[in-house]
Amino acid sequence: MTEQEHAHPRYILIWVILLVLTLAEVGYAFMDLPKLMLAVGLIIMAVWKAVLVAMYYMHLRYEPRRLWILAVSPIPLAILLVLAVITEF
Amino acid sequence: MSTTTATETHTGHAEGHHDLGFIRTYIFSTDHKMIARQFLFVSLLFLLVGGILATMVRWQLGFPGQPMPLGGMLPDTMAPGGIILPEFYNSLVTMHATFMVFFALMPLQAGVFGNLLIPLQIGAEDMAFPRINMVSFWILPVAGIIMLASFFVEGGAAGAGWTSYAPLSSSGEWTGVYMGQILWLVSLTVLGFSSILGALNYVTTVMNMRAPGMTWFRIPLATWSLFVTAWLLLLAIPILTGGLILLTFDQTLGTAFFRPEGSGEPLLWQHIFWFFGHPEVYILILPAMGFTSEVIANRSRKPIFGYHSMVIAMVAIGFLGWIVWGHHMFQSGMNPLLGMTFVVTTVVIAVPSAIKTFNWLGTLWRGNIHFDTPLLHAVAFVSLFIIGGLSGIFMASAPVDIYIHDTYFIVAHLHYVLVGGSLFGIFAGITYYYPKMFGRMMNEGLGKVHFFLSFLFYNMAFFPMHNLGVQGMMRRIYDPNQYEYLQGLQPLNTFISISVFLFAATQVIFAFNFLWSLRAGKEAGRNPWKSNTLLWATPSPPPHGNFPEMPIVNRGPYEYSHPDHDEDFWPQDDPPATSGSGGQPAASPTPELVPGD
Amino acid sequence: MSDAAVATMDRKPMPGMKVYNMKLGMWVFLLSEVMFFTSLIGSYIILRFAHPDHWTDPGVILNVPLTALNTFFLICSSVTMVKAFAAIQQGDQKGLKNWLLATILIGAAFVGIQVIEYAALSGEGFLPMLDAYHAVGRGNPHEGPSLGGPLYGATFYSMTGFHGAHVSLGVLCLIFVYFRARSGAYTEESLAGVEVIGLYWHFVDLVWILLFTIVYLI
Repeated sequence: MTEQEHAHPRYILIWVILLVLTLAEVGYAFMDLPKLMLAVGLIIMAVWKAVLVAMYYMHLRYEPRRLWILAVSPIPLAILLVLAVITEF
Repeated sequence: MSTTTATETHTGHAEGHHDLGFIRTYIFSTDHKMIARQFLFVSLLFLLVGGILATMVRWQLGFPGQPMPLGGMLPDTMAPGGIILPEFYNSLVTMHATFMVFFALMPLQAGVFGNLLIPLQIGAEDMAFPRINMVSFWILPVAGIIMLASFFVEGGAAGAGWTSYAPLSSSGEWTGVYMGQILWLVSLTVLGFSSILGALNYVTTVMNMRAPGMTWFRIPLATWSLFVTAWLLLLAIPILTGGLILLTFDQTLGTAFFRPEGSGEPLLWQHIFWFFGHPEVYILILPAMGFTSEVIANRSRKPIFGYHSMVIAMVAIGFLGWIVWGHHMFQSGMNPLLGMTFVVTTVVIAVPSAIKTFNWLGTLWRGNIHFDTPLLHAVAFVSLFIIGGLSGIFMASAPVDIYIHDTYFIVAHLHYVLVGGSLFGIFAGITYYYPKMFGRMMNEGLGKVHFFLSFLFYNMAFFPMHNLGVQGMMRRIYDPNQYEYLQGLQPLNTFISISVFLFAATQVIFAFNFLWSLRAGKEAGRNPWKSNTLLWATPSPPPHGNFPEMPIVNRGPYEYSHPDHDEDFWPQDDPPATSGSGGQPAASPTPELVPGD
Repeated sequence: MSDAAVATMDRKPMPGMKVYNMKLGMWVFLLSEVMFFTSLIGSYIILRFAHPDHWTDPGVILNVPLTALNTFFLICSSVTMVKAFAAIQQGDQKGLKNWLLATILIGAAFVGIQVIEYAALSGEGFLPMLDAYHAVGRGNPHEGPSLGGPLYGATFYSMTGFHGAHVSLGVLCLIFVYFRARSGAYTEESLAGVEVIGLYWHFVDLVWILLFTIVYLI
């Protein structure tokens, strides 16, 4: 499949980006910043890495659109549960 | 098409399938139809267990402190001299609900009919993953044996309610139950895998294995209901599994996820449980709604009123079901603002159910109704579900719930939707699909007697519970007479108990009919109900592989009494009407198979 | 459409999700896994909001450098996995086997390092149970004060433990796939087994990416 051949060289590039982000996360975590900024920044980086793995290693970028709609469907549910219960505390 | 011949009932193995031997055919089968039968027999046994537990609960409430008939058989740790102990009573209410919800109602609907109907109604030869299907069944008896075993360990079976609230359930100190609670947790954790594996099978099969022409909006409502149910199972059960595991750690390892003495949060358990628990109740009702739609349309000889809105309503219930869970927790001490949100969402979710109810009524209206047993059960489903739904509206309002939470008003509500609803819906499904499963009809006379007596005794038993609840009788209580203000309710409780016993006894008629008809029922033929779905295009019971070749679907499933067609039914796989027959064809011919479905 | 045309129509199922059954089945299964980890991670988040005093600053108790290295390893194993799949897409049997083996070894190393980490942590008194928790932190004497609280231990071990169990299960499945590859079961046309175990493996990596951040860095 031409899309796969096109994707093939990207695996290493994605690997490098993941490494850089991991190092950035570790560095960022120990900076002297307010807790909220730390948490938000780290989560953004983590989600970025996760999306890269999903899109390129799990090939979601090249799958039919209906599949990635299916794949992301539980995420709103997960977020909903956590946010709703946090309001308790 | 309108006549069936005796030869069509022959249970032929399709050509090319060698004889697999007894074990592979009956024990470790990968054929979805055999697995459906296995689920049916095992779940009916667990339904019996749950029913026996209920009669014991009702004995205590109806005849408090009196020795139970056959109670002498029970050990002294449960019922010395046949008199039920309070601790045993707590186990009885817990285990009655646990067996009914997890080991009867779920497998009877998702397990039996998911397996039987999905491949046949969509025109597939089997499920997407037959071996996973087999594993999914076998987990059920294993989990069930673990759950049954919990009665016989020291301390007895779990007694913290089927909802197992912490901190009562997180330590044996207060219930006196140690191993029994752990076994309860382990059993349900194991059982969860059965649901998850089954659900992923159903979802994959419905999405990927529909016959040509079977577009999404030509799928029969029974399969649609099972498809939505499968999604709910897939996403809700893992949440319960996580919670069960954390609670097991609290019980066994001494962690404090939910234990206040270790800064744990009991409310967290409630949120986890009900986030699963509310989708769970839709898992318990949606398939019954599906069967009801099939039966009502078929027996009225009319298309289902508003097929598209029926589908959309079920999907809406599936979506909305995720955002109402807090209505089980109004009295928990939860954040009141959060509680208000749940009031709103709960009232909204009544709407799609109401749409479905009106559509069933619209289907019956001016129909050519055949009042046979499946139809009777289906109409009972609608009427009893209405009552259960109406009482639900009361509970949706948090201020009203302050008064009725944890009373028998709730018990009345849940039994109206789960027994009046799900169980009668299951009876409709069993009586309607029995011919396809076993090649024979159940006895109509016995079926009607069973129906009328069940309906009568059921309402006698459960309607007065609304009264009990409003008068202040609480749930899960061993001895209401300890409160002076409840002592006057004893006659009503006794009346209810006797009605329950009569209801239970009536089920013997069903059991007899079921078993007797296996051998001696009238031979069914291929399509005894003159139905349209692909299910009825196969012999009864269908052979391996279901269809000699994949059917082609040319119309929707509810073309009953179509003006352009002679017969009052028009099977989905009949060829399209040719232009010369006058008038428009029933539906557009098979669409081109291009992306966009 | 005439009856004749209908009769000779190609009898293939509806396009559906446009991916083959095993791939769709694995994706659907992974959705349930998302919900499972949600209950564990969600419990952690909620308990932390309720009792922040049970947690310490990052790195005080947990070994961030070692785990960052472990994270790097797991990401590498995702690369080797995807290269194994790319190899069989080209029909390269040797490449498939070698890259699978690399994935297995790195995956096993990840679990091994986690076990070593667990041993060190429990030695320092960082435990999940209420009564036994007395975490003195990295490099501190055993008699030192207890840092954080048992909820930290309980949520840590349940989240990382179940993740580790999923990795271990993945390694076992990869070994199974490896032996099937050795017997020539996979070709350019028949590579579903490799693809679906790959999906599972990447998912396990993805969960770890989130866990590492949430558990070790926040």
